[in-house]
Amino acid sequence: MNRFIYLLKRLLLGIPVLLFGLTVTFLVLYLGPIDPVLAILGRDANPAAARQLEIALGIRYSDGSMVPLWIQYKNFLVDMVTFNFGTSWGVARNQPVMDLIIGRLPATLWLGFWSVVIALGFGVPIGLYAGLNSNTWGDYFASFGGIVWRAMPNFWLAVMLAGVLSAGGILSGYRDFLIKTDVIGTPDELQYLFSGIDVFPGIPILEYLWIPIPNLMPMAAAFKWILPAALVLGSASMGNEVRIGRTAVLESLNSEYIDTAKAKGVSTRRIITKHVGRNAVIPLLPVIMGEFYLLIGGSVLVESVFSINGLGNLFLRAAFAADIPVLMSLTFIFIVIQILFNTTQDILYTYIDPRITLADNNE
Amino acid sequence: MNSTLNDANPDSSTEPVLSVRNLQTVFRTDRELIRAVDGISFDISKGETLGIVGESGSGKSVTARSIMGLVDSPGEILPKSSIKFNGEELTEYTDAEYQQIRGSGIGMVFQDPLKSLNPVYTVGNQIKEALRINRGISGQEATDKAIELLEDVAIPDPARRLKEYPHEFSGGMRQRAVIAMMLACDPDLLICDEPTTALDVTIQAQIIELLQDLQEERDLAILFITHDMGVIAEISDRVNVMYAGEFVEKAPVTELFENPKHPYTEGLLDAIPGTNAEKERLNTIEGDVPTPNEQATYCRFAPRCPKAFEDCEQVHPVHVPISEDGEHSAACLLYPEDRSTEEAVEYHRERGREAEDVPEGDHA
Repeated sequence: MNRFIYLLKRLLLGIPVLLFGLTVTFLVLYLGPIDPVLAILGRDANPAAARQLEIALGIRYSDGSMVPLWIQYKNFLVDMVTFNFGTSWGVARNQPVMDLIIGRLPATLWLGFWSVVIALGFGVPIGLYAGLNSNTWGDYFASFGGIVWRAMPNFWLAVMLAGVLSAGGILSGYRDFLIKTDVIGTPDELQYLFSGIDVFPGIPILEYLWIPIPNLMPMAAAFKWILPAALVLGSASMGNEVRIGRTAVLESLNSEYIDTAKAKGVSTRRIITKHVGRNAVIPLLPVIMGEFYLLIGGSVLVESVFSINGLGNLFLRAAFAADIPVLMSLTFIFIVIQILFNTTQDILYTYIDPRITLADNNE
Repeated sequence: MNSTLNDANPDSSTEPVLSVRNLQTVFRTDRELIRAVDGISFDISKGETLGIVGESGSGKSVTARSIMGLVDSPGEILPKSSIKFNGEELTEYTDAEYQQIRGSGIGMVFQDPLKSLNPVYTVGNQIKEALRINRGISGQEATDKAIELLEDVAIPDPARRLKEYPHEFSGGMRQRAVIAMMLACDPDLLICDEPTTALDVTIQAQIIELLQDLQEERDLAILFITHDMGVIAEISDRVNVMYAGEFVEKAPVTELFENPKHPYTEGLLDAIPGTNAEKERLNTIEGDVPTPNEQATYCRFAPRCPKAFEDCEQVHPVHVPISEDGEHSAACLLYPEDRSTEEAVEYHRERGREAEDVPEGDHA
């Protein structure tokens, strides 16, 4: 079986997962205590307007009878898979949910990107270092640091960091360091990160193609602004990567195949880069890919503490406002991204670990 | 002093490939010093197979790892030890120098073929790595050579097998592949640390036969370590019986089986299934190998020895020649046989004292 068919198969297997996720979300929201009419029109709605709204929302037929739940469920599924997300009820009344999500996306992407880069860039090398120098003071320091990062809860670290960095905090000098930025709120510079160069100006359709050119100053400022929040968001992953990285390297180093490699005269450097390296990546991969789980949950928290206007914040506010279309659409998107991540992980595995076969069964 | 059996065989005019003198490998723990290998000496010449046999925990594998320079902290080789390979003193080697010797000088086949190949690289990749590092062969030439090597170790369809991963090989095949990989290094000495233990009996026989053929072709020196007396009988020319870090008896293989002298060797031979068919139950040696954590001032086998007497707890036995040519010796207070027990004990006591004065390896 080749990799393309394998990929298709994994994606097909994602469909039941998606369906299950959507069903659970649907049940939680529709069987829960949320009354859409109450959420939209408030307590003193006039009955005629309420009836009108119920019909518009698709929970009552125009003859006055209720739409059965399973029809609502079917309509909901069709809306989701056709990306017909509808309009917001509460967070931004009457605004298309799609526009809302696209508008909040850059802040979350910027935050998520840096939290992953920081966690990976520090966590993995430190973990590998600790494993290669096990039971030295450097290892103790790194491992202890890993446990501390892992143990500090997001919500606590976020509040602490926001506190010491904002005006009056002991580290408030950070805000004036190099570039003057804030640390709370959404960086304004996000809109100016790239300037575009039109490739085919004036030609229909193709005029929308443009080459992004990074603008360094706004980028630096936006990075500095988001850094504390990204650090908090990536903290647990970083700790995990240190610990798993260390264990993975140690386990590989103590394997018999390392002795065999030494016995045939392979240099220490090559043993580490070739023989240990690839084996150590195998247990690290799910930890790295699993960061996404943490990012979704973490971004809700971190974005609200740092008042960043991103998807996490939107999700939280939609939940408080009983804004079902926004909640549904975001959940749908999160599930889809999660399935894509898992599939990517499975595909990557087949490259790293040959023992994972593409076939259904080993005949 | 030519009665000391550590001396090279007087008949062989050639310099031994490997010459180990008074090898002491110890492990330091917080509580004690464990003498895993305690003052052993032996030689191996070209084309010869030396077997080291003993129970689990007797120090066989540590001996092999000491020679390969693979003893990791907290283990260390004590300074008076000497490991000479082709005249070079390996104990003084740095890590980088040792890398040069490993592979092209001394190769090693490990116990568990399921674990001794790297699971994420193809067998071909690992063989070609050995070829490139030790012989500078790469590219198509390396592929051809690797195919040839797999053919040598009787792996069918080698060109296809080269592209497969270790998990696609059976246990016996993997051990063949490991052997092929070690042969790719073209070593003078091959250390086999229980290479057949993890394999079933028919595969065992095939691997032993393979090693014998390869030895004949290449004039390899082989150090073969096992706890299996049957395997030892098949493959070795000479056998050293190891117990608690020391050699208790050394003999040519047929001599050892026909005329064992040390009570421990006798016990081992008695414990082979099938040799005492008339008996209902198999003989065993009661107890376990003790952990040698102090200097040997007594016989370490005494607590389990059916023939032990009082002096065994007081006097450390030295090797006593059994045969005229000095090929067979045993370290036991019961010998020399022609003397009374008191005389024999006195002989061991005196020789023990002399050995302390004269540095090992300096026998006349």
